[in-house]
Amino acid sequence: MSLAAVSTYLPDRVLLTDLPELADLDDAERALCLALGIERVTVDDELSTVDLAVRAARRTLAVAGVDPQALDGVLLVEARAPGTLASSEATGLQAALGANAAWAFSIGGLGCASIVPALLTARGLLAADPEISHILVAHGSRPVASRRYRHPVTVNGDSGQAVVVSREGPLRVRDILLETNGAYWDLFQVDYRGNPPQDWREVCADLPRYAFSLAVESRKRIAALNRRLLERNGVDQDDISCYVGQNLSTAALQVVGESLGVKIADGCRDNLRENGHLGPNDALLNLSTAIDSGDLPEGGRAVVLNMSPAAAWSAMLVEHRAPDNRTVCL
Amino acid sequence: MDIRQVSGDDITRQILEFLSAATGGTALAEDQDYIAEGLVNSIQAVELVTRVEQRFGIEVEVSDLDLDNFRTAGRIADFVRRKRAAAAPDTRDG
Repeated sequence: MSLAAVSTYLPDRVLLTDLPELADLDDAERALCLALGIERVTVDDELSTVDLAVRAARRTLAVAGVDPQALDGVLLVEARAPGTLASSEATGLQAALGANAAWAFSIGGLGCASIVPALLTARGLLAADPEISHILVAHGSRPVASRRYRHPVTVNGDSGQAVVVSREGPLRVRDILLETNGAYWDLFQVDYRGNPPQDWREVCADLPRYAFSLAVESRKRIAALNRRLLERNGVDQDDISCYVGQNLSTAALQVVGESLGVKIADGCRDNLRENGHLGPNDALLNLSTAIDSGDLPEGGRAVVLNMSPAAAWSAMLVEHRAPDNRTVCL
Repeated sequence: MDIRQVSGDDITRQILEFLSAATGGTALAEDQDYIAEGLVNSIQAVELVTRVEQRFGIEVEVSDLDLDNFRTAGRIADFVRRKRAAAAPDTRDG
């Protein structure tokens, strides 16, 4: 399986200190929020999550040279909260793109790591059905609640991202590993039923479990996944050009780097600072940045890490093998 | 120092030193629940566990990550003793 093109739509940015909600935080929350390593966040309050995905999808189809009519499938990585209940945002995306020959469905369930089940599904479909050539994986990311600060973890920005997945392309996905632990399934939650949207808050139900147990488990899981990924593909750590992960905070990036004994690509910290956390869109945005910056040169290999407090952990081995660079940020 | 020669009191003392370093010099009591008091963040938690593993020659498994094993210096010391005892060779006759 290959990623033929990756595009990320990033709305205009707002200074973190200009977010109205900063005034509502208590002193401890505000201090933590301002120490995350985030200076600006991407904000577009007008676009729906499907709108965000459509913007990225149109661009990535153009970059890949794939007509929407030629798509065999559309996989929408589900939003944390649908715009409406009972309707199908996946087929809505299909309609917006004019992908009339494709099937469409949504997939997810792993929070910020939900790009992983989408890519695993795309890989399986490409392997199982020789008539399938192109699958679009897309996601629009915005916070569930009106507050963008998720104490004590990160600040969410808005973004859309789309990936054309094919058998051939510049980024060959050699392997994907995924582990989950259901013990943390409701560690973060938004109690929304019966509450007006302005009162919705994404809260951590057990801060000690998050700060201690999940942090230590994540360190161990990611280190073990990386070892297993390299071993079963016959690759040494020295053969990896760069590691990219998700952009929660500089502290989280530090934990991941120290867990693996590697340097996380600088682009992760830059994207964190300039955009905030973009949910499932972080990892492939960082991969695109690594290509643009030269951290992942042609012939190089990258390990792409995804994590979610849901809790899920994933490591993906990618090879950059194309003469042309088909990643773009709008 | 041979890690097998560390006495029980030394284990507790060294863990208190680790905790003090992790919490910016805070002097903690052996039974003080530093986790409930929010004295360590995720980075400090990871560093603490790593230091305990390295110093006492044990491996903290994912299945060990019950907070009750780590809430206080005394509980960490008990946990270290249990792990080391489990790893020690059985020298009983027979």
